[in-house]
Amino acid sequence: MTRALGLGLALIYAVAIAWLYVRQPQTIAQVTGGLSAAIGTYKVDDQAFADAMQFFRNDQFVEARLAFDRADPAVRDARTQFYVAYSYYRQGWGRLYHDDPLYAEGVKAVDRAIQLAPDGRLRVDDPGLGMHTAEELKAELEAGLRRDASDFNPMRVFRKRK
Amino acid sequence: MTVAREAITLPLVFLTVTLLAGLRIDDTVALVPPSPYLLVLGGLLVRLVVQSGALAPQRLLASSRSELANLNGLVVLLTLWVAAAQAIAVVIPQSGLPRLAFAAFFLVLLLNTAAAAPDRQRLLRSLSVTLGAAFILKFVVLHTLSAPGDGAVKRVLRAALDGLTLGALIQDVPHPLTAYLALFAIGLFLVGVLLLPSRPPSASTALLRTGNAVD
Repeated sequence: MTRALGLGLALIYAVAIAWLYVRQPQTIAQVTGGLSAAIGTYKVDDQAFADAMQFFRNDQFVEARLAFDRADPAVRDARTQFYVAYSYYRQGWGRLYHDDPLYAEGVKAVDRAIQLAPDGRLRVDDPGLGMHTAEELKAELEAGLRRDASDFNPMRVFRKRK
Repeated sequence: MTVAREAITLPLVFLTVTLLAGLRIDDTVALVPPSPYLLVLGGLLVRLVVQSGALAPQRLLASSRSELANLNGLVVLLTLWVAAAQAIAVVIPQSGLPRLAFAAFFLVLLLNTAAAAPDRQRLLRSLSVTLGAAFILKFVVLHTLSAPGDGAVKRVLRAALDGLTLGALIQDVPHPLTAYLALFAIGLFLVGVLLLPSRPPSASTALLRTGNAVD
């Protein structure tokens, strides 16, 4: 009995340590959220998410991200991370130039969203968005970070933010 | 050795060492796994522990034991190996010439200790001194030299030292909590080694000890 219990405890502890090494959580919330996600009990804070969406629609992107962080403290929800990435895109978008640091953060967030989505497939059917899939958003962010001839096209001032 | 010690205490002690010794706390928290080189050093340390009699592997793995008991023994051996690698890793500096020097020093020291063939007691003393001294060199000496100073004189001295050593000596100074966790991990590792099922002293060794005691 003691031997079986010890073996079980050691295996659970070893798996938890291996998980920590692989995931590299930065906060206690990420640790607890990750563990609860592993057993299927993780849930986004609906009120904080609703607050975040309100800020997002009012173009208050910094405030929106703070609320998204509250909604998904463990960074385990693909949809929330998609909106975080979208907030970086919209905040960094400009007619004449894009803000590279914000776009780079957006790429990181959309990568997280893709990683968290089942089979890496993420679609958000929000009519207020111009892009509905993680692939579209990632391509747009990466295009914004690239330097090429289209950057000097004067017609770009007529492009619309998605 | 009790069953509880073998099945529960030792694996949990060594797994805790593996976890705590891998923690690097700075602006962010990182868990650094042992490199292949450190796993080799950890393997050498396990060999030393067995050679000295601090661990009698036949008391963990033997055909006379049940399968479950052998599994418990295997877990102790595997966790001891990784914990040994991490206990060495935590006292090796993070970068530059000191990292290279410490890594080479540990390899030479482990080989030298193996050649000296110490008994359990001497190995435990040697391990305590080695890990303790390396801890002081890394977390006290090197980090004090590398810490950015408050005063102008200290900043000038640090810049001069950085220039003289071509940046090879100065280390990134982590959060002070890292040092406390490292010290705790080293202490816990030594306690774990002390608790391992040891080889009973041979008759000649026992006689020698008795003679020393009489002298």
